[in-house]
Amino acid sequence: MAEHVILFTGPMGAGKTTAVQSLSEIEVVRTEANNSERHIADKATTTVALDYGEILIDGEEKVRLYGIPGQKRFDFMWAILKKRAKGMILLVNSDAPDPIGQMLSFIDDFRELYDRGGVVVGVSRADVVAGPTLGDFSDALERTNPGLVIPVFTVDPRDRDQMEDVLLALIANIEMRAMFGLTTAGAL
Amino acid sequence: MSPGLHTQPAVVNAASALLAEMKDASSSLTYAALLTDDGFDVARLPGQTDGARFAGMASSMQALGDAVAHELKIGNSEYIIIASGKGYVVQLRVPGQELVLSGLFDNDATVGNALAISRSFAQKMAELLK
Repeated sequence: MAEHVILFTGPMGAGKTTAVQSLSEIEVVRTEANNSERHIADKATTTVALDYGEILIDGEEKVRLYGIPGQKRFDFMWAILKKRAKGMILLVNSDAPDPIGQMLSFIDDFRELYDRGGVVVGVSRADVVAGPTLGDFSDALERTNPGLVIPVFTVDPRDRDQMEDVLLALIANIEMRAMFGLTTAGAL
Repeated sequence: MSPGLHTQPAVVNAASALLAEMKDASSSLTYAALLTDDGFDVARLPGQTDGARFAGMASSMQALGDAVAHELKIGNSEYIIIASGKGYVVQLRVPGQELVLSGLFDNDATVGNALAISRSFAQKMAELLK
């Protein structure tokens, strides 16, 4: 049985825990603490170690879903979690002060997941504010990382169907790149 | 919404004084830190060290301990111990507060001794913040 390990990355408040919760078919393992930084992300709690969920795709492929803590001070968890992953769904909040800058920073920090598998970007809250367009995100990726194939979607992390579409797109992307020998890991 | 405990001078001062007192109570204590549940350094001993990274790690470990206890249905995690050839890390939550006390003891202390001291000072911190 094939197994995939996928990381949900992105800054605090982008919807990583919500996305794992929307997708998971098991009770999600959560590590929440009360959030001292309500001025940065106005939410009661924040992930301090990881989220963990599982979903079965096509009845046989188990996908393990890990959410990272979004704040840089937890980057030791990033190092632990990225070792076991072969793909990443990078979520950014369209109404954050600099969502494109945040996206590029996480692409840099997790670049090895692109090389090993694949990456997709999900832009959340795109319907809430008139932030950058999907084209702006794609252009920024092309400008800073020419040649990388990273699909960009708008997503609502609360919506299971949307998240499943993004996850399937990522898995298709990983498998296609592996088939054409474009990754360092080969087929999953 | 109240500011984080790490930003409140009264809490930081109380935490620093408490760690100094803890060191006086146990010569085996070689490092100690008080940190928030969400990984911010409040005070550490020795005071001149950079506690930011350790605070993040200790808060993750605390939350993972809680998650494991929940998963195995054994109630709440009361304390965490890491034992190595050179000593022990004993860590526990300050009762009733969003604060964690973590201490590194050398091998001159027994685990039981290190745990007793840590519990007593976590309780003391809770009383200071009442």
